[in-house]
Amino acid sequence: MENPVGLAYLAAGIGSGLAIIGGGLGIGKLAASAMEGIARQPNASGDIRGAMIVAAGLIEGATLFALVIMILLVIK
Amino acid sequence: MMLSALLLTLALAQAPHQEPAPATPPGAEIAASPAAEAPKEGEAHGAAAEGEGHGGPSAVLMHHVTDQADYHPFGLPFAFPSKHLFFLIFAMLLVILAARLAIASYKDGTPSGIGSVVETLVVYVRDEIAMKNIGHDGAKYTPLLLSFFFFILFAALFGLFPFSATATGNLSVTLALAAISFAAQMHAGISKYGVVGHFKNLVPHGLPTPILIVMIPIEIMSMFTKPFALMIRLFANMLAGHMMIAALLMLVPLCAAISQTLGVVMIPISLGMALFIMCLEVLVAFIQAYVFTLFSAIFIGMYAHPAH
Repeated sequence: MENPVGLAYLAAGIGSGLAIIGGGLGIGKLAASAMEGIARQPNASGDIRGAMIVAAGLIEGATLFALVIMILLVIK
Repeated sequence: MMLSALLLTLALAQAPHQEPAPATPPGAEIAASPAAEAPKEGEAHGAAAEGEGHGGPSAVLMHHVTDQADYHPFGLPFAFPSKHLFFLIFAMLLVILAARLAIASYKDGTPSGIGSVVETLVVYVRDEIAMKNIGHDGAKYTPLLLSFFFFILFAALFGLFPFSATATGNLSVTLALAAISFAAQMHAGISKYGVVGHFKNLVPHGLPTPILIVMIPIEIMSMFTKPFALMIRLFANMLAGHMMIAALLMLVPLCAAISQTLGVVMIPISLGMALFIMCLEVLVAFIQAYVFTLFSAIFIGMYAHPAH
């Protein structure tokens, strides 16, 4: 192997892509359900939006943890 | 309280700068030898950043989004220790100034101009974030949450001006903000239940021992991952937008290196996309200020009312 550090870059690239797929799917599902809920029950749109942002933030947090590991791979 | 919280942010944000901070670019860490003393670390950082300035697209990208040592604000002769520090102080002073102006604009209990804008946001944070998530203790934490909200908002909006930087796009600054949030969370629990009672409240009462063995480490870990997530979320969101704008603008010279026509064709496309991300950044500034405040309030409420 000429430069094994390259493998870390490769892993970081693939890994961040996978993390984004997971996070995107999660937030997408969440937003779809929230939209459905708001369409069925427009009165509750405020509460639903608040709960949606909280859940989206938690999903985003988990995704960002994965991205931090990618950054650590790249700068090591 | 607002002032003291901001000053604490400043003090904490300054401290990690002396050490090899996690926010330094990769090149700087390699350049600075591990034996170098703290003050020399900054010089090595500056030298590395200068040396990397013409090192290719990724070096230019990193140069734009990371902190720069020895920053001369507006081309003035005196230098600040770092660019992010200057804009941190700038945003802080502006928050204080905006608050003072808003207070001064009240005449007979009715605000005008900037006062009415600030009042809308203040009332929203108090009623929708603090009171809803913390309950009747919310009033005690509203000033802290407000200073979080306005500081993050101002710092993020500042980064959109040309030649400026987002102070919250620096891991040290968000670490300080998250540390203050963590201190407030602990304060909420400890001031209400005492030190022992607070840590007993981390797990629900009356659980059987085998479950406790699993639950206690998990709860202790989650106590620290909460502010850690706050830190990373704000940092990543602030950094990502700026990186994206820089990368989109970089498309022009990169395409021009292939052929000149391609570079010219790329100019409107690249500018249009950068403008779109710029508009998105304004939205992100508000959302991240809201999310940081909201999560701080939720976590404070969680420790203040462990039963639900």
